Amino acid sequence: MSERDRANIERMRIRFVLLAMLIAFSFIGVNLWRIQVLDTSEYTSSLDKQSMRRVRLPGIRGRIFDRNGICLADNQPRYCLAIYTEELRQPGKWSRTIDKVEDIIDELAAVPGELPQGGRNEITQHINRRLPLPFLAWRGLDEIALARLSETAKVFPGVDIYVEPVRVYPHGDLATHVLGYVGRAAPVKNENDRYHYYLPEMEGKDGMERAMDKLLRGKSGGRLIRVDASGFKYKETGEREPIAGNDLHLTLDLNIQKITEQVLENQPAAAVVLNARNGDVLALASAPTFNVESIKSWKSWQKILANKDRPLINRAIQGHYPPGSTFKPLVAITGLENKSINENTILNCPGYYQVGNRKIKCWSKHGHGKLKLRKSIEQSCNPFFCHLGILSGYDHIFHMADSVGFGHRMGIELQGEKAGLLPDNEWKRRVMHDSWRAGDTCNISIGQGFLLVTPLQMAVFTAALANGGYIYRPRLVNNGIPNGDLVNRMAWSAKTMKIVRGGMYDVVQAERGTGKRVKVDGVTMGAKTGTAQYGNGKKHAWMILFAPFDNPRYAIAMVVEDAVSGGITVAPRMKKLIRKILVMDGTLQPETESPTFEEPAQG
Amino acid sequence: MNSAFINILKTIRRSNWMLTIMVVALLFVSVMFVYSACYVGEDRTMRPLYERQIVWLVAGLACYITLALYDFRHLKSISWAIYGGSLALLVLVLFIGSTIYGAKRWLMLFGPNGIGIQPSEIAKLSTIILLAHQLSQSGRNLARFRDLAMMGGLILVPVGLILMQPDLGTAIVFIPTAFIMMFVAGLPFKYLAVMSGTGIVMIAFVLSTLFLPAKLGAGEETQAKIRNFSGLKTHQQERIEVFFHPEKDPLGKGWNKRQSEIAVGSGGLKGKGFLKGTQNILGFLPRTVAPTDFIYSVIAEEKGFVGSLSVLGLFFGVLTFGMLTALRTRDAMGRLLCVGVVSLIFCHVFINIAMTVGLMPITGLPLPLLSYGGSFMIMMMSALGIIQSVYIRSHKRDAYG
Repeated sequence: MSERDRANIERMRIRFVLLAMLIAFSFIGVNLWRIQVLDTSEYTSSLDKQSMRRVRLPGIRGRIFDRNGICLADNQPRYCLAIYTEELRQPGKWSRTIDKVEDIIDELAAVPGELPQGGRNEITQHINRRLPLPFLAWRGLDEIALARLSETAKVFPGVDIYVEPVRVYPHGDLATHVLGYVGRAAPVKNENDRYHYYLPEMEGKDGMERAMDKLLRGKSGGRLIRVDASGFKYKETGEREPIAGNDLHLTLDLNIQKITEQVLENQPAAAVVLNARNGDVLALASAPTFNVESIKSWKSWQKILANKDRPLINRAIQGHYPPGSTFKPLVAITGLENKSINENTILNCPGYYQVGNRKIKCWSKHGHGKLKLRKSIEQSCNPFFCHLGILSGYDHIFHMADSVGFGHRMGIELQGEKAGLLPDNEWKRRVMHDSWRAGDTCNISIGQGFLLVTPLQMAVFTAALANGGYIYRPRLVNNGIPNGDLVNRMAWSAKTMKIVRGGMYDVVQAERGTGKRVKVDGVTMGAKTGTAQYGNGKKHAWMILFAPFDNPRYAIAMVVEDAVSGGITVAPRMKKLIRKILVMDGTLQPETESPTFEEPAQG
Repeated sequence: MNSAFINILKTIRRSNWMLTIMVVALLFVSVMFVYSACYVGEDRTMRPLYERQIVWLVAGLACYITLALYDFRHLKSISWAIYGGSLALLVLVLFIGSTIYGAKRWLMLFGPNGIGIQPSEIAKLSTIILLAHQLSQSGRNLARFRDLAMMGGLILVPVGLILMQPDLGTAIVFIPTAFIMMFVAGLPFKYLAVMSGTGIVMIAFVLSTLFLPAKLGAGEETQAKIRNFSGLKTHQQERIEVFFHPEKDPLGKGWNKRQSEIAVGSGGLKGKGFLKGTQNILGFLPRTVAPTDFIYSVIAEEKGFVGSLSVLGLFFGVLTFGMLTALRTRDAMGRLLCVGVVSLIFCHVFINIAMTVGLMPITGLPLPLLSYGGSFMIMMMSALGIIQSVYIRSHKRDAYG
């Protein structure tokens, strides 16, 4: 074979090799097309899956205001010291990054003056679980620490001030039962899966915070964070701003609420102040109260739970009390409306009322003698009302009480409202396995027996007495509409109202009225005291009151547990309360200690 | 003196400009993407890597020009010496080489932190030169068993020494390169069939030792025992396993393969833009390999299908010009030199890209001209210089004038 032939064979084979190489490269080119063009979305989504983290941002909670625009629940910035781990990361083992974070914290510790709790464990946990988020080393820095830190923090890499909103109640314990409190919300179902890091918002746990949670709670937003292969934040790639919740305006009047709570003296008691004309709740107080801050620590929470006076109970809507004599106006109205008696009917009080073989005593040992309805209200005469109850018949009393709302929830926005108990024949048979007797009717006619009411129910009833029979739903949410939510219009005749209200006028204004201690110079009002016996000679003292007597604006019900009597225990508190309310709204002159001075001043 | 200078200019004028342009284009791409692969790394020693790549690139260009000017025909007389020298270095590295990742591949000059050279890279080129010389000698007949055995011996000595380092990837490229050279030099088809057959059987054997026991339901221990018959190290077995079963351990052994594929795939048609490759920036593509073995992933991610295909095209252009030079020259050794160098480049490019896009198991082979690395760069540039030298001296007038 010549050199030339051999060269030609080699050239042939070179061409063949080059062709084979072209085929091999084409094979790669086709695969590049497949991976980079046809299947690119698949690879892009795997890339996003491994490098994108979704963080949920809670919406800011709406604020709560009283009727005059005073803020009752607010969000305040809480300053935290945040450490951004991605800027402190150290190559190599994780422990080196943790060391670095710890070093920074130690160096910074001089400024707030104390080391944060948790220490190394917390850092490790943060790095394991929430690496792309800032690590909050200190929460709730005070102003001095904040001022010093904002200077110092610049020196340290990866350290910054971070603001998180916290719920605050600027007026402390005031209206705690109405406002309630918030706690960390449980993750929303289904929503949880979509986020890698879930920052929950606050959720109303009690009171209006709970009842109006939907309104107050904002809409959550989200943030997309791109992380690197180690999980550190690389950058934020997108954010959807959370939407703040709506503000809530209450019908509550902070000043009235304040006085109401003062007069209850933090002893087991409750009071409700309504606007008699539309059912607006101006004050709703339950004592004893508790501090919202104290529910945050386990120890103080246990203390609250162990308190035998049960501060967590909102007595104004959840307390079940026999109404005692404050129920008598209802019995009086029933008797008059049914024409069982009239204003001139005279009944005798020998100091007791005999029903079957039982004697129901009057508080007046020797009895009131012969008396009419108006006087019997003023004197709160038990035998008179027992007799009246028998004359009217329990069915009528039941229907009247039922239409007013006893035995039903009043429909206030707060959750956990109790309905009370308005017993009837069927109830007694079911629960007591006994039929209804005349004695039961007598008991109920004087607000005793099985009858149970809440202070809120009594307040609504008082408002109806004040406004001539309009039953308004007690409302806490101030929607700006002056007309109340009318639940029922009682067909009480003007004549009836005049007699009953007249009796209630005498309770306060008459010389020997049972509620004369509530009398305030310069204004007339109607009231009824009550002293409900329960258990072993113990008594709950009541008073219901509306003022001013003509065109009343305020309807108040107040109960004090384990007291002497309505006239002695409640009336002085009620006086303090109504007096201040009337001073505030301008009806009375402020603090004129001497009543004699008041009259000429007005003249 | 003056006339010598004019001679040099004349020689340069006769060179193949297209080859030089394509090589320089690839070098430019290299600097760009070595920079891109390193510029976000938290490890600050990595950042100036592209500057060092420029140094290697300048050194490589110097070798390219020098060897282009150097008459390749003089290599005939010194081919044994070069071969012998490179073998000596391969032996030396086994004794005094510095150990990196459990393999002795590097000879350190100027102290432990000085310049490292890889004798295996020198051996690649010296073996090609000696083979080209031996195969081009008149009277050489590959149909004769004695000649064939001698060629086999010339190849297997450096391959054996490199396997002792161990460096399977580098050793592997010797085989197809030498095979193509022998094929062009007239290896008879019956031997061709036998050798191809042997290769297929060997691959089949290795694969069956790895997978057959599991398929037959043998216990873990037996499986491991049989696997060792394949002669592969554990990590090599794992790489092959991961290639066939990528879902097995995506966070561990399958990480590089998967992340490289995601980088290439997410690049799409046009890519994410220079310095915007998230796989690389976020470190999913490990920073240690991004500028070296996985530089193509970085390019494919940032420049997309358009970019990755262009690079592939540039490489094919280089191969084509190399082969055209082989067709054109009348010098038998020159022809085989070109074939050898082209085959070497082809093997590197094909294996590297195929592994980057997930078509082959991961093997630690760099991409010619693009991957960061000094010895490899200088060897590749020298090899291309030899092609240029063959081209320059393939002009008719020059050859016989």
